[in-house]
Amino acid sequence: MSDVADLPASEVFRRLVRVGRPTLGRLALASLLGVAAAMATVGLLAGSGYVVDRAAFRPGLGAIAGILASVEVLAFLRGPLRYGERLVGHDVAFRTLGRWRVWLYDRLEPLSPAGLRAWRSGDILTRATGDVDTLGDLYLRCLLPVATTVAASVLAVVVEALILPTAGLVLGVSLVGAMVVTPLVALYHGGGATAAREAELEGELSAQVVDLVQGAPELMAFGQDGAYLGRIEAVDAELTALARRRALAAGTTSAALVVWVGVAVVGVLAAGVAALRAHHLEPVMLAVLPLAAVGAFESVPMLGTAALRTRQVVAAGRRLLAVDAVPVPVHDPDHPDTVPEGRFEVTVEQAHLRYRTDLPWVLRGLDLTLPAGSRVALVGASGSGKTSVVNVLLRFWPLDSGRATLGGSDLERLAQAQVRRSVALVDQHAVLFAGTIRQNIALGRPEADDAQIDDALRRAQLADWVRTLPDGLDTPIGEAGSRVSGGQRQRIALARALLVDAPILVLDEVTAGLDQPTAARLLADVLAASDHRTVLLVTHRHADLSGFEHVVRIEHGRAGAVA
Amino acid sequence: MPPPATLPPSGALPPKPRSGGLVDPRLAARVTVTRRYLVVAVVVGLAATACVVVQAVLLAAVISRVLLHGADLGSVTPLLGGLAAAFAARAGCAWAAEAAAARTSATVTSVLRRQLVRHALDLGPTWLAGERAGELSLSATRGTAALDTYFGRYLPQAVLAGLAPLGILAWVAWTDWISALVLLGVVALVPVAMIWTGRESSRHTQRQWRRLSSLSARFLELVQGLPTLRAFGREAHGRREVAAAAEGLRVTTMKTLRVAFLSALAMEFLAGIGTGLVAMVLGLRLLGGGVSLATALAVLLVSPEVFLPLRRAGAEFHASAEGRAAAQRILDVLDLPAGGTPHPGAADGWGDSPPVPDPAGVPDPARDAIRLSGITVTFPGRGEPALRGFDLDVAPGEHVALIGPSGAGKSTVIGVLMGFVRPDEGTVHVGDVDLGAVAPASWRRHVAWVPQRPHIFTGSLADNLRLGDPGATVERLEWACSLCGLSELVAGLPDGLATPVGEGGLSMSAGERARLALARAVLRDAPVVLLDEPMAHLDVGTEVELRARLAPWFEGRTVVVAAHRPELVSRVDRTVRLGSAGTGSFPPGAPYPVDAASTSVGGIGIGGGGDGDDGDDCDGDGPDPSHEGEQAAGVPR
Repeated sequence: MSDVADLPASEVFRRLVRVGRPTLGRLALASLLGVAAAMATVGLLAGSGYVVDRAAFRPGLGAIAGILASVEVLAFLRGPLRYGERLVGHDVAFRTLGRWRVWLYDRLEPLSPAGLRAWRSGDILTRATGDVDTLGDLYLRCLLPVATTVAASVLAVVVEALILPTAGLVLGVSLVGAMVVTPLVALYHGGGATAAREAELEGELSAQVVDLVQGAPELMAFGQDGAYLGRIEAVDAELTALARRRALAAGTTSAALVVWVGVAVVGVLAAGVAALRAHHLEPVMLAVLPLAAVGAFESVPMLGTAALRTRQVVAAGRRLLAVDAVPVPVHDPDHPDTVPEGRFEVTVEQAHLRYRTDLPWVLRGLDLTLPAGSRVALVGASGSGKTSVVNVLLRFWPLDSGRATLGGSDLERLAQAQVRRSVALVDQHAVLFAGTIRQNIALGRPEADDAQIDDALRRAQLADWVRTLPDGLDTPIGEAGSRVSGGQRQRIALARALLVDAPILVLDEVTAGLDQPTAARLLADVLAASDHRTVLLVTHRHADLSGFEHVVRIEHGRAGAVA
Repeated sequence: MPPPATLPPSGALPPKPRSGGLVDPRLAARVTVTRRYLVVAVVVGLAATACVVVQAVLLAAVISRVLLHGADLGSVTPLLGGLAAAFAARAGCAWAAEAAAARTSATVTSVLRRQLVRHALDLGPTWLAGERAGELSLSATRGTAALDTYFGRYLPQAVLAGLAPLGILAWVAWTDWISALVLLGVVALVPVAMIWTGRESSRHTQRQWRRLSSLSARFLELVQGLPTLRAFGREAHGRREVAAAAEGLRVTTMKTLRVAFLSALAMEFLAGIGTGLVAMVLGLRLLGGGVSLATALAVLLVSPEVFLPLRRAGAEFHASAEGRAAAQRILDVLDLPAGGTPHPGAADGWGDSPPVPDPAGVPDPARDAIRLSGITVTFPGRGEPALRGFDLDVAPGEHVALIGPSGAGKSTVIGVLMGFVRPDEGTVHVGDVDLGAVAPASWRRHVAWVPQRPHIFTGSLADNLRLGDPGATVERLEWACSLCGLSELVAGLPDGLATPVGEGGLSMSAGERARLALARAVLRDAPVVLLDEPMAHLDVGTEVELRARLAPWFEGRTVVVAAHRPELVSRVDRTVRLGSAGTGSFPPGAPYPVDAASTSVGGIGIGGGGDGDDGDDCDGDGPDPSHEGEQAAGVPR
């Protein structure tokens, strides 16, 4: 992970561009449209100047008709060109976003769930998905404005230089000045010690506000609400004072830009006047010079925002590339063994496991045997290593030493997909996906027919409930299952596991969040439904244990008293 | 707290459309401080516009003199100097406008944030108990930050868009009325175009919004569901779903954007046409000698500036969309009626609030009984009252257990006793003092409270403990830790009591949080102790140990414990059963009523000290709060 943190920003940027490489054609089209729109602006202003300048010498309509028509065409085209640039640019952004989302999914997939424990932060998923969204801006708000502005500026300088080389030089110098100064000033104000202090205060304030709102009952109960409010207001006051002080500096970017436009306009005009006197310039071109210069600056302000956004994108990208550097915990063997048919024993012998070398051991010599068809409960306090046993049995995480077998085959000699066909999991959080009840139940076996699904429903004691729903199996479950109760959620997860028809059923804290009568009913139904299967229940609730013939207590990663 | 939905690149997704105009009048009324800055921003903006006109006139004069009067560089130098000065003045205006914008947003953000957090406290724990707490804290942090563009840029630009074009048009009319007519004709089309495209866009966006947000949320859902997908061998399916949702998001958003960008297109188009038409008319009139070159050039130069403020306002309107949506949410919260109790000591820093003199007298629960009579509580949005005509007398020093199934109102009784829940009917008296007439803060000084879901504050472990007693010495903290079974945890930490906890700090298990909450209550050293399901997250072994250790501390204090079973309090004088079957009291010594089928498993050596008491009625496990809310039906929200 540290190697990504040390990479220079340019290297991070290059890698990001490489990973999210969009359809180059679309990106080129977007910048082409952008440059065309910018040139239309320059052409419209310069052309109008030419028309007025020329007409002042009263040459007759014929002499200005052609250029007049061109000016009108440019006037018509400019809007549609910008519109096209915006649309194509956003399309590129959303395509990039899609690529990055798939990229992140591919990286997180082999790490989930156990590999993510190696991360310090608990909100890795939320943060990473936010970072991916930020990366959608890489082309739209970083590369595209720079490409468009640079290309349009070069063209404007060339045109100006063709009319009068010294004017081209003046415009070129002031454009470069503006294009360098604008992003630099923007970055300077976005960085530095004050900005760092501001970011620090913002973090502090944010944590305090969350504490105040979520801890309000405690604060009020202990009479600390006023004091805490005072602390928040003190941080807020310092933050506001900093922001106000920074406000004085914030305008320098815009002011500098106006100064550069002034330099360009006054400069090219003076050069033009001097050249005209020396007969190096056609009189009709005099007005064209300053007007084209004004038009050339139109898109320069975008560079400031682009610079700031680039820094955010690089920061987000650096965090995301770090995901790439997390080692994948489990790999399939090149020539996997096969899992025997029918019923078989599961064993764990002298298992040692930890998630990172600098973290304590979670399993320290655990022995566990699940005879074929047995019902075993694994009990222990939180942190005792229960969930790690599940991670081992589902091949989410390897053992550091010791071994685990499935029907006599070492788990390390089996492909992950094989293991998970033999071990069905009903997990603690029972994730339900947006979709219908049918889709959720058939998750592990999409080809299942109605009879098989009905059978699973019946055994999970859900058939009656589903019958009461207007759309039956095709009733949509709200996002993440928010429209079903906790008990129903666990039963749907149970039906899902039963439908897979795996010989081993692992229930990880399935009664968490259920009141005792509901939990007792659920477990009784599980045991009734499991008939010939091996059942492993992982729980911290001692009331759950009736009906289990073996109870293993796990303490500090080792098996304790066995009944 | 629900996971925040992911959104596509900022600003790309149109905000959820709301009815209402460009400026929310509620916002303008609430944040009066912005008016001064707004005036500054608009004055500066108008000054900048004047500079632009001066620039145009000077530029045109230089060209006209050189072309028509043969002037040389030397003779136009004063004019060029004036031109440079006009640019300098405009640069100054640009600086001032930015500075005013930044100051405005800094001030407004601060004002709204302060109002919001104060209001959150005024709304009280009942309101905050729901999911809205997460939403509110998001509004107060990220939400207020999003207000920047709205207040700093959009608002002044919106006012300028109304004033600057009129000013320029007036100057053009004074200089050359025919050009003014041409420009006016095009400008008159602006509102028509804006209204048309705006209507199309909002109709379209409203239709797409739901679909967009669900497609956005789909990615996070699939990533969070990865363990399940892997367990069922469907990770490849998930990958396809991710790609399909991203593609769907793109297609739907592009449909919306095609319409949303129409307003910008219309503005650019009209600006182009306006400039082009003016150039054409001027060119034709110059041919006929109807206008001077100086006038023509000056008018030509300012004509794009007529449209510029309008285009900018349109662009800022889009850019500030997130800010407007945030402002709306903040205002919705601020408009909720609240009790508005003062927060004494708000400016004193981290100290206990000073006592508030109370006309109703001072409650003394160490001497007087607590009496709840005829308490009825109905939570908004619930048909059935959580409590109906509930009576309870608790003598000083008495230990009372409230039992009953989930949703029977145990937590509501605790909430009423804490003053968090104001009963719809009935009174709470301590001796002769009616608690309804006493400032809640002065009553709570006598109460130590252990909530069902304790909050861990960002700070050190010691800071969190000192919530119970801000002046506690380290020795006293250590004593409380040992009493509540935290010593082992603290001893195992490299920094001991100074270890940071909460956001970004040590993550504590539910059981450790429960013990921390107990330690806070112990440090509070109050005559009344209210325990709300204190053992929901403890292992049986820990509970037995704690019960023995805490027994002496509970002696002499009035204790009300809400629980499925009163595990923690060893001496229970009276058990009060709540529930649909009615409320009943059980004298001490009567067989303890078991409200759920609890089974004991012999021979495992768990639940050691219990007399067949090893049924564990835990409500949940682990730090995931989403599961904990489900059976906490008695918790007001």
